[in-house]
Amino acid sequence: MAFIEIRNLVKRYGKVVAVNNIDLNVEKGEMLTLLGPSGCGKTTTLRCIAGLEKPQAGEIIIDGRSLLAEGFVQPSERGIGMVFQNYAVWPHMKVLKNVAYGLKLQKIPKHKIRERALQVLDMVGLGGLEERYPAQLSGGQQQRVALARALVRNPKVLLLDEPLSNLDAKLREKMRFEIKSLVRRMGMTSVYVTHDQAEAMVISDRIVVMDSGNVVQTGTAQDIYQMPANRFVADFIGTMNFMSGEIISVEAETNSAYVKTEFNDKLLCKTTDGTNLKQGDQVFASIRPEDVEISPDRPETSGNLVAGTIAHKAYLGNFLFFFVTVKGITIRVQVPHYVPLEEGADIYLSLNPEKCMVLV
Amino acid sequence: MPRENISLAAILWAVIAFLVIYPLSVLIIESLRIAGTNEWGFSNYLAFFRDTYYLKTFWNTMVLSTLVLLTTTIFGIPLAYILARYRHRGKTVFTALILLPIVLPAFAGVFAFIIFFGKYGTLNLLLMQFGLTKVPINFIYGIHGLVFIQSLHLLPFIVLSLSAGFTNIDPSFEEAAEVEGASGFRRFITVTLPLCTPSYLAGAVIVFLWPFTDWLTPLILGKVDYLPSVAYINIAYHFTDMNRKHMGIVAVVVSSIVCILLFVLARRWVERKKYTGLSKGTTSEGRVIEPGPIIRYGSYLYMIIVSFVVLLIPIVLGLSAFSRRWVFEPFPTYWTLDNFKLILLESPLLIKNSFLFSGIALIFGVVFGLLAAYVIVRTRIRGNQTLDFIITLMLAFPGMAVGVSYMLAFWNGIPLATHWIIMPIALFARRLPYFLRMAHSSYLQLDISLEEASEVSGVGKFRTFLYISLPLLLKGVLVGVVMFFIMAFQEISTAIFLYKGGWETLPIGIYLNWHRGMEFGIAAAMAFLMIVITFILLLIISRIGGGILKAAWGPGEK
Ligand SMILES: Nc1ncnc2c1ncn2[C@@H]1O[C@H](COP(=O)(O)OP(=O)(O)O)[C@@H](O)[C@H]1O
Ligand SMILES: [Mg+2]
Repeated sequence: MAFIEIRNLVKRYGKVVAVNNIDLNVEKGEMLTLLGPSGCGKTTTLRCIAGLEKPQAGEIIIDGRSLLAEGFVQPSERGIGMVFQNYAVWPHMKVLKNVAYGLKLQKIPKHKIRERALQVLDMVGLGGLEERYPAQLSGGQQQRVALARALVRNPKVLLLDEPLSNLDAKLREKMRFEIKSLVRRMGMTSVYVTHDQAEAMVISDRIVVMDSGNVVQTGTAQDIYQMPANRFVADFIGTMNFMSGEIISVEAETNSAYVKTEFNDKLLCKTTDGTNLKQGDQVFASIRPEDVEISPDRPETSGNLVAGTIAHKAYLGNFLFFFVTVKGITIRVQVPHYVPLEEGADIYLSLNPEKCMVLV
Repeated sequence: MPRENISLAAILWAVIAFLVIYPLSVLIIESLRIAGTNEWGFSNYLAFFRDTYYLKTFWNTMVLSTLVLLTTTIFGIPLAYILARYRHRGKTVFTALILLPIVLPAFAGVFAFIIFFGKYGTLNLLLMQFGLTKVPINFIYGIHGLVFIQSLHLLPFIVLSLSAGFTNIDPSFEEAAEVEGASGFRRFITVTLPLCTPSYLAGAVIVFLWPFTDWLTPLILGKVDYLPSVAYINIAYHFTDMNRKHMGIVAVVVSSIVCILLFVLARRWVERKKYTGLSKGTTSEGRVIEPGPIIRYGSYLYMIIVSFVVLLIPIVLGLSAFSRRWVFEPFPTYWTLDNFKLILLESPLLIKNSFLFSGIALIFGVVFGLLAAYVIVRTRIRGNQTLDFIITLMLAFPGMAVGVSYMLAFWNGIPLATHWIIMPIALFARRLPYFLRMAHSSYLQLDISLEEASEVSGVGKFRTFLYISLPLLLKGVLVGVVMFFIMAFQEISTAIFLYKGGWETLPIGIYLNWHRGMEFGIAAAMAFLMIVITFILLLIISRIGGGILKAAWGPGEK
């Protein structure tokens, strides 16, 4: 049995279905990330776990304890730590009081409370700032106060709602690693919400991709990047070339299919195991820019070879992006920065059949 | 810095100097004059604070202020919480009813409650009829009555500012407390209330200062040992006794100093403690809860009781307005329109005066307010914040102080007070901030690039203001216009010192007719008329946009 189990969770706001009958499992000690575009229901799911929203249906079980089906358990009774998107650090309390707030409600001797709060403040790198008011702290420091407050009671479950979204880019990258190592060290089970795919890939053990209140795919970062379940996931995570087309034939035994696209009659692509695609289906032959090979001369390799022209070249520091026009279709190609090709050159693209996939 | 802005600011300063600074200096100088001589010194003040009677009035006023603040706070917290947080039917109606006393003239409440709660008023007569009591119960004569009447008048200020606080708190502050293990009441005490203190204070200071400015309620209830009432009596009735007159003037100055000091301190504190900007709100509505059945019916009951007491004012005044000789009966028996005939046919002058004076004051107010808002918001002329500050101070300034200082300043020195124009001018000065604040807060929300776009296209500053800014400010300006008019229309504390025969306004007429004892039907009819007019104007405001009122009077925002 998983440490957190969510079953058939439904949350509606009037006619809007924010969370549409989702199932989730989080293993003990795992950091799970809910990833998806804004408005897909991540925050709502998290708030249901915290008890800040009352779902219309479903069950949430944490460490074997039912939180919904056997009567609604109030947020104050759930023993959860939560970091809010806007920190929600109380401006009228000093840092120490903010952190000690939850401890004071438990029957712990005063000096123990102080000791513990100072210890956690030290852990998040705020040692010495305990007597400041939040208004005297930077955004990053307030973020750490929020984190310390969530960790101080050693909760079984830690929830984080886009904790880094209000920080600047450099700090954000640094905090990712800090949060991850801190949470791992404390051995907490955590659910992390973000709309930033890079953040999700760095921080999580597993990622749950959500779209319009539904779970679209669950897996490790690698699984999801290499085998996206559909066009939505592929588009959301990383960059992908989508070439619309029609299935000509499905080769079930090799997990592949031939697709007729606008520029090529027979593009060989991979399919997922046990696919139910059939001839005539409208699909997208898809390939990531870094998987496309580009060469000025016709290469020896056969299969999925197309001719095109470089319409535009973009220099992005460590690599180059070519926008290649193939019979009116634009295909993006990513190559190392030293590839000596210029705009207007006629080139060949090889869409590696091992990397080319069929998505709907 | 453009030259026209400088001349504009100069004109505004000239107006302030003439209508605020000059008369107030005369008032202060007069308070320092030693009675009967041409010498000056602090002896009046020393005498005032050595006299046990005046010290007692000062102390009494402090006690009254504290009691009124306590009462409004205790009754206001749940009311504000209900209005801000619970979703229920009839929210708009209840809100309107509970806020009604803000725009009702303060004396309307006094008169209505004397008729209803008085010794042989409706309630006592009913109680005696049903044999529940043999002798009449003293409901209102005494400090408890004063506290009750003033608290009802001031409750809306507390409710408005607290509910703004409850609404503006970022919901996640409370949610964080819940997640941390604090439930219900504890969360409210440790997080919600402390976060509301800045907005609470903005309302609380207005409440606390009121007993330092309200001379009329204690006077009518026969409890005159309060600073403003003593000042009024000394100045208005004992002008031949130089010593008493000077003690009156000192009392006025002392009240004014208390008011301004507390007002400024509170503002300072609020500005320093402003918690809102720290975190962005998620919904404009704030945190709204569906209450359970017990809380729901409890809140309804509570709101109904408060609304009922508020509604008593127009109902009781209406009953006596449409009747004659209503005494020793719980309800009137002789119905008539005579009272209205009398005021409409025999003395339409009062109504005319009220509209005329308030109307002229309004024109001054709008012209001055628009220009001042422009200078304060859109220019960086040195001293524009001081200008704003002085104008805002008029909010805290006792009306009586304006009246007395005008009487002193515009009688001998500059003989403006011999012409009726003094009336609208005084109303204008007294209600200075009311229009300005509305214009100011809408101006702050107007994106400057809209104006810049017009200027870049080659249109001058003045035309830009006329064609671009003004139409965009229209809503705020209209609400300001109506609000200013309401407040000028019900003004009495200043006007009572300045009117001469033929210049009486409706509030003065009400006050005078009430004095004539048995003619209170006429006073009631006038008060009823005022309430109806005010109510119609209020409906217009809420049609235009009630939110603007909240925005303009919300805490922390200048
Ligand atoms: N309190 C609310 N009232 C009405 N609709 C809401 C409320 N909270 C969220 N929603 C709606 O539910 C959907 C999911 O919102 P949310 O969970 O906040 O998305 P995310 O966190 O993924 O951006 C959105 O369409 C949002 O508009
Ligand atoms: Mg969200």
